Formats: sequence, C-alpha cells, structure tokens
Amino acid sequence: MAKRRRFSCFLFTLPALLVILVFFLSPMLRSLQYSLTDWDGIAREAKWVGLKNFIWVIAESSFRQVFINTFYLIVLYVPVLNMIALLLAIAVYNVGKVGNVYKSILFFPNVLSMTVVAFIWKIIYSYDGILNQFFRAIGLEVLAQDWLGQPGTVLPAMSVSIIWFAIGYYLLIYLAGLYAVPVEIYESAEVEGVNPVQKLFRITIPLIAPSITINIILSTIGIITLFDLPFVLTRGGPGYMSETMALRVYSYAFVTLQTGYALAMAVILGIFAIIITVLQLQFLRRREEVLL
Amino acid sequence: MSKRKLLSYQSRRKLIINLVMLIITLALLMPLWYVLNNAFKVEPEIVRRPLVLRPQDFTMDNVIRAFRALKYPTRFLNSSVILVLSCFFLITMGSAAGYGIALANSRFLNRIYTILVAIITLPFQLAMVPLIFMLKAMGLINSYLGIALVYTGWFLPFVIFLYTGFIRTIPKELEESARVDGCSLLQGYWHIYLPLLKSITGTVLILRGVPIWNDLLVPMITLTRSTLATLPLKLYSFIGQYGAAMTRWNLVFGGTFVVSLPILVVFLALQRLFIRGVVAGAVKG
Repeated sequence: MAKRRRFSCFLFTLPALLVILVFFLSPMLRSLQYSLTDWDGIAREAKWVGLKNFIWVIAESSFRQVFINTFYLIVLYVPVLNMIALLLAIAVYNVGKVGNVYKSILFFPNVLSMTVVAFIWKIIYSYDGILNQFFRAIGLEVLAQDWLGQPGTVLPAMSVSIIWFAIGYYLLIYLAGLYAVPVEIYESAEVEGVNPVQKLFRITIPLIAPSITINIILSTIGIITLFDLPFVLTRGGPGYMSETMALRVYSYAFVTLQTGYALAMAVILGIFAIIITVLQLQFLRRREEVLL
Repeated sequence: MSKRKLLSYQSRRKLIINLVMLIITLALLMPLWYVLNNAFKVEPEIVRRPLVLRPQDFTMDNVIRAFRALKYPTRFLNSSVILVLSCFFLITMGSAAGYGIALANSRFLNRIYTILVAIITLPFQLAMVPLIFMLKAMGLINSYLGIALVYTGWFLPFVIFLYTGFIRTIPKELEESARVDGCSLLQGYWHIYLPLLKSITGTVLILRGVPIWNDLLVPMITLTRSTLATLPLKLYSFIGQYGAAMTRWNLVFGGTFVVSLPILVVFLALQRLFIRGVVAGAVKG
C-alpha cells in the first residue's frame, strides 16, 4: 500500500522531471561531452579532440581581457551593490510606515526589461546625454566624456546601471532579514548607549549574516551570467573592453558560429561560476559561525 | 524630561533619514523621469530641456510612431502567449511535483529534490548551445511551445523548490484525514491542496513570470522569424536599426515607454504582491 502510494507520488513528479531532463539537464551534460569533440551541431558524428577547443579559446588573445572583465565586474558590482542595499534597507527599516513608499520606488526598476534599462542608460551616458549635460551645466566640462566608449569608464558605468536595476531586489531581502531581528535587542542596545556604528557592526550585521550570504551569492551568480543588459548596452565594446564570458558564449555560438568554442566557453563559464559560489559559500558560512 | 529629550532625538533622527532617503529616491527616479517626460516631447526640446516638460512641447507623436513601428499589438500578443504558456507549465508541473515530493516521504524523491535544488543556480549558458540544436531537430524553433518548454525546463527546479517548501509547511494530518475519507492522491491534489497554493503561486508568477516577460536572450535565439518577436526583442531590433548612435532619440524614448507600460501598470496595481513575492522567494532560498 505504502509502496503503491509512493509510486503514485512519483508519477506526480514525472512530467516536471522529464521536462527538466530533456530541456535543461541533458543539454548541459551534452555541453560537457561535446566540448571535447569537434561536433558542429549538425553532423551526427563527432570526433574526440580532447582539450583542443579549450586550448583554442583560452589562447585567443582577447580571452585574458574577457576573463579580467568578468572578474572586474564582480569586484565593481557585488560589494558596492550589497553595501548600498544594506544601508538603504537600514534606512527604510528606521523610518517606519513611509518606508513602504521608498521600498516600492526603489524596487520598481527591477520589474523593467533589461533591454529597456540598457537603452535608458545608453542615452544617459551618450555624448549629449543627461549626465554630460549635467557636468557641463555645473561647469565641470572636463568630466563630460564618452562613458561607454572608453576602456577606463565602460565597466564602472555598466556596473552603475546594473546596480540601479538590481538595488531594490537586494534591499527587500536585507529588509526581510532586518525585520527578523527581535526589536528587544535594539532596545537594550539603546539603553546601554551603543552608538550607531557599533550597532551596525556589532548587532545588525552579525544578526542578518544569512541575508548577507544569500545576497552575495545571488548577486555574484547574477553578474557572471548576466547577458541582456551588457549585450544591449555595449555589446562588449569598445573592442573587447566590456565583453564578459556570458557574451562570448553567445558570440561564438550565434555570431561567428564556432560551436566547439561556444561549448568550451560555456563550460569554462559554468566551472567559474561554480568555483566562485562554493568558495564564497564556504567563506561566508565560516564568517557566519564566527559572528554568531 | 529625559524621556521627552529621547523622543525628540528619535524624531529628529527620523527626519534626517527621511530627508536623505527622499534625495536618494528622487535621484534613482531621475532616469525614469528622463524617459517619461521625453517620450512626450517634441524632438529638439529633448536635448535642450531634458528634464522639463513644458505644455507647449507636449506631443503624442513619439509614442504613436513607436507603437506603429514596433507593430505593438502583435508583439504584445506574442509576449502574452509565451508568458501564459510558460507559466501554465511551470505552475501545473511545479505544483504537482512539489506535491509528490512533499507527500511521498521517499528517500529516492528526496534525493532527486536535493539534485533539483543544486542545479537551480547553474548558468543557462551551459545548456544553451546543445539546447538550440535540439530544438531545431525537434522542429521547436520559431514555436511558442518550444520557447515555453525552454523556460519551463530552466525555471522548474526553482519553482519545485518553492512549491515543495510551501507544501511541507502544511500539516500532514490534512492529507491523512482526506485519505481516511477515501480521497485519492489526485483528488487530494485537486480539491484540497491546489486551493491552498494560491499565495505561493502568486510568488511563482512574480518571480518567474516577470523575467520571462522581460527576457531578450531566449527569444533572440529561439524566435528567428520576425513575426514571432516579443516586445523586448522587437524593441531591441527596432532601435538597432538606427545604429549604435541611436540618433532617433524620440523613437527610443517612445519605444521604451510603450514597451514598459504593461509592466508599469501591473506593478502599480500589485505592488504589495510583488514585494511579498520577492521576499518569500528569497527567504526560502
């Protein structure tokens, strides 16, 4: 009887498992498998070529730049985003009911299409865009520049636009963490005369450590795999100065039609994402234990 | 006396925080205002007065021309069909799978569940290339069904994770007493559990429906026929026509505005649901 019931339960999961298997898991496994062959997507036969695709992709002169860009974007984006989101969440937490209004407004960009967000910022950053107009208006003509067209400014500028898009989402997660902290702790801290800075580092941050862990992991994976926004904003330019691994998988696969290299690049991206996540998780979990 | 002083300190602090927040919120709204007011402005004024909309400069031209150039009604319909079909699959398959996993209490299904949770964060790019070739071989390129199945396979692990977690919080006695009354597993799913899953289904719709509606990558690689393009895809290709410089700003502003309008309306109507959905999804994750 129990056995039959278990089997019926399994039948309930079957449609979902089949779709996941066919449309998600098996293509992934095939990426791993075919990245080691000369498969071009159409031919039935695929010859084993070992690490040839990987070597070719890594040896390409721009690979180093693409790798550095991906890494640099993580560094530009994750800490800044999380610090601002946390501070804003604390502010929203402290203002009471009005906080709901701020919360909604700050979250709104997150529901827009990244295509739209990219176009908005493309115009903001353009030569006659509002940003340069602002600098000219306040007499800082020297700061007016082609933000997306120069190697030095393109990634920070891109990072700002992504932060603008994402901030509300991370703010909401921090806020949920803050609401989970018992109010009594703050009250007794107030009585003891703890100053705001101590309160932040000694009470708030340790107590919402799980939210910090979630947010850092989510934002890192998000930026590594992000495609739409950089694609529309710069398409990797100028040159390769803002091209990321995620963009490169696309261009190998659908622009230059080099299937083998696309697969190798996708596998490198996947391994990179997994390694970074595992490292962060281990580090952050250990910090959580120390702090608590 | 000292209590009163404390209060005034508190309210003063609140005032300062409010002021700072007001400035930050307004700054963050600027890009949106930039689009909104310029979408309704005659072209020369866009550069001359980027943030002021004077009544004499008002025009509906940009919006109407963008609406026509985008072939808006068709794109809207395409986006809607893809959204509805994907969400239908995600909700039916996801809730059924969550129900099965939560009630079975079997080591096998629990192990599968662990695998599903582990693959939630795997990058889509890892599956992308073989997936496209497979869709081509199956005749599922340029097909609503094909693109919906891509989203379903990609997002189901997360959706199952949400449903399973939710169903596990429902007391087991409910299902047991239903079984005693002669209710089959299927009846239990349909009559007892499904009605209880409304709030988590709302969360699923917001957390996965919004990204599907807004997505550019998957439509771009699975819908090569231009008549099937979704709103974001059409917006992208339409503005691409005017080159990287995007010299026709009035059309860009008009286009981004009309494309964002549906989600803006839905967000304004369902703000609370959106915010609760994000929190519910993240706290579980």
